[in-house]
Amino acid sequence: MNFELQQHAAWTAERASMTDIKRPREPFAPWDRRSLPGLFDVDETAKRIGHYKWVEIKLFEALGGWVATVPELDVKLRLGTHCYHHAWHADLFDKRLPELREMQTERLTIPPNDHMVEFFESMTEPEAAHMTIEKLVGVYRVLIPHKIAAYTYHRNGTSEITDMPTIRILDFILQDEFSDWREGEMLIQSMIESPEELERAMSHQTKLEKIMLEAGGIAGPGSIGNPYVELVEEN
Amino acid sequence: MIQVSVKPESFEMVFYDAAVIGEVVAEVAERLGVDEAITLDIDEQSPLGRSKILSYDPIDLWVDGGALENTQRPRNFGPARTRDTIGRLLLRVLDRRSGRFDDAPADDELDLSQFAAWDVHSVGRLERIGLGGQRKRRLYQFRNRHGFTDVADAAFDELWGSSELSWTEIERLSVGCRT
Amino acid sequence: MRKIFPAEELARDSRFIRQTNEQRMGDPRGARVAGGNTSENLAKLTPGLPNGPDRARALMHGIFVGEIQALEGAGRTCWDFELGDEVPLALKLDMARQCWDEARHCEISVSLAEHMGTELGEYAENGLLYEASCNPDPVLRLTGVNRALEGLAIDVFNTMKEFGNMAGDPVLEFCEDWMLADEVTHVKMGSDWLRRLTENDKDRLNKALEFQKVVDRLFSFNGFRGEDDDSPIQLTRRFRELAGFSDEEIDEIADMSRDARSEAIA
Repeated sequence: MNFELQQHAAWTAERASMTDIKRPREPFAPWDRRSLPGLFDVDETAKRIGHYKWVEIKLFEALGGWVATVPELDVKLRLGTHCYHHAWHADLFDKRLPELREMQTERLTIPPNDHMVEFFESMTEPEAAHMTIEKLVGVYRVLIPHKIAAYTYHRNGTSEITDMPTIRILDFILQDEFSDWREGEMLIQSMIESPEELERAMSHQTKLEKIMLEAGGIAGPGSIGNPYVELVEEN
Repeated sequence: MIQVSVKPESFEMVFYDAAVIGEVVAEVAERLGVDEAITLDIDEQSPLGRSKILSYDPIDLWVDGGALENTQRPRNFGPARTRDTIGRLLLRVLDRRSGRFDDAPADDELDLSQFAAWDVHSVGRLERIGLGGQRKRRLYQFRNRHGFTDVADAAFDELWGSSELSWTEIERLSVGCRT
Repeated sequence: MRKIFPAEELARDSRFIRQTNEQRMGDPRGARVAGGNTSENLAKLTPGLPNGPDRARALMHGIFVGEIQALEGAGRTCWDFELGDEVPLALKLDMARQCWDEARHCEISVSLAEHMGTELGEYAENGLLYEASCNPDPVLRLTGVNRALEGLAIDVFNTMKEFGNMAGDPVLEFCEDWMLADEVTHVKMGSDWLRRLTENDKDRLNKALEFQKVVDRLFSFNGFRGEDDDSPIQLTRRFRELAGFSDEEIDEIADMSRDARSEAIA
C-alpha cells in the first residue's frame, strides 16, 4: 500500500471512532417529502376499495370467459395472462378491506351505481368470434384507462403516511395496468386494418364511454376528483 | 406418363383414391427423372408412417396407409406427405443405382442413425426441387439419433445442403456425431 | 356472453382442424392417442422407437391444443359461475391463476413444437378435454378437469420429460419439468377444492368422484396410460401423491388402465 492510501485509511478509522451516536436526526430525512394529510378517511377509502375490488372481479371473470371465444392465438394467450393480473388485484383489495375495519368484505364489494353494472353488461355483451375488436376496445380503450385514472388519483391523493399500505398496493396494480393497457392497445392497433374496423372500434368505444360517463368513473362520481374551481359570488 | 400400379385399387378404411395416389406418385417420379413402372403396395389398416422398398428393379414400394395421410384430417389422403414419403424412397433407389452407394448396407441392415442421416440428405434434395421439406422435423429426428449438439447440427446442415453425397460421406458425417 | 360455452364453438384460426369424438373413435384403424395409435403394439414412448421422434412431435401438438383447451376451461370457470351463490372468490382466483399458467404452457408448447419441427395445426384437434370443462356443477367440473385431466397431464409431462432426458434433449426436459411443477399445483387445487366444497355433502363428493372416473376412463382406452413397462404413458405415482391423490386412488387408475388394456387385447 502506498503512503497516501495508508494515510487515508488511518483518517477514515479515526473518524469512525468519533461517530456521535447521540447526535439527533430528523425523523423525516431531508429528501423524504411525504406529507400526512390525505383526501380520504378510513371509511371513504374502504368504500372506494370495495368498488375497485368489484370492478377487478368483473374484469377477470370477463377476460376468462372470452378466452374461448377469440380465435386469434396471441389475443387468447394475453387474455388468459391478464385474467390473472386482475384476479390478483381483486385479491389484494380483498385483503386490504379488513385492515380498513370492514370484516365482511362482501358488504363493500359492490358497484358504485347501476350505471357501472350496465357498463359491464355492455362491455361483456360481445361473444361472437368476429368481435375481438369490440372485446379489446371495451377493456383496453375504455375500462383500463378509467381504472388507471381512478387508481392514480387515489394513489396521489391519499395520505402518504397513514394509508401507505393502499399506496403500495396501487403501485403494484398500476404497474400491471400500464403494461396490460400497452399490450391491449397494441393488439387493437394490429387488428384494425380497414376504415370499417376503425369505425367499429370507435363506435363501440363511444357507446361504452357514454355509460362510463353516466357512472362517473369506476368508483362513481368523484373517481378522479373535481378539477373545477368553486367561484365565490361577487358583491 | 409413368405407369404406377397402386394396390389395393379401392380402400375400405381410409378415404383414398388409387387413381389420385397414382398421379401423385407419377408426378414425383417424373420430377426425379424416374421413367419406369412403379408398384405401390399400401397397408390401409395401418395409420403408422412406415415405408420400405420391396424391390429396386423393378421398383416395388410398400407403405403404411398413414405414410400417405393428411395428419390434419385423419383417414384422408395427404398429397404433401405422399410426396415426402415416395420422394425419399425413389431417391434411395436412385442413390443405390448411382454407384455412390455400393458400399451401403442393405436396407434391413441400416440402423436408425444411418436411416436418419440418409433421409436428411434425401429430403434436403427434395426440398430444393419443390417436393416438400419439413426441415425442422428432419433436424429434430436427426438430433434424436445423433445428439443435440453443435457437431450434430453442423453435420445436419452438410447432409441437408449437399447435392450428391456418397454413402461413405453420409456414414462419415453420421459417425462423426456419435463419437 | 353466454354462460357455458359449447365445445363445438371454441374459436380457432384457419390452421386448426377439429376432429369430432365420433370421427376419432370411429376410425376403424384405431383411435389416435399419445402420438401413436391404439392399433399398434403398445410401447413406452422412447427415442429408441423407430417412430419415437415423430410420436413425440405428434404428442407435443396434442399437449399444445390440450393447453389451449385447459386455458379456455379455466377461463370459463371464472365466468360461468356466480360468486358467492355457486363458488367462493378463492376458487375463482385459483382458476384465474390457472389461466395464467395454461397461457404460459401454451407459449412453452408453441416453442417446443417449433423446436421439434411441428407446425401449429399440423395435426387434428379433438375437443374432449374442453368438453369436461363444460360440466354445469363447479365441483364436478373441477374434479373432472383438475384431478382427472390435469392428473393425466402429470403422467404425460413426466413421460415427455423422461423422453427428453433419454434423447439428451435439454430443452424438452427443462420445459417439461417446469410444466410438471404447475400441473402438480393444479391437481392439488382440484383435490383441495373437492375436499372443501363437499365437506358436508357426501352425495356431491361421490358424484364428483364418479365424474372423475368417467373422465379418467375416457382417457384410459387401450390402457395407454399405466404402470406397465410398455405403457406408452407412464402413470406417475410420486407426483400424484404430492397432488393429493391417495394410494387407493392411484391403484384404481392403474387397475382401470389394466382393464382397458385387457379389453383391447381381447
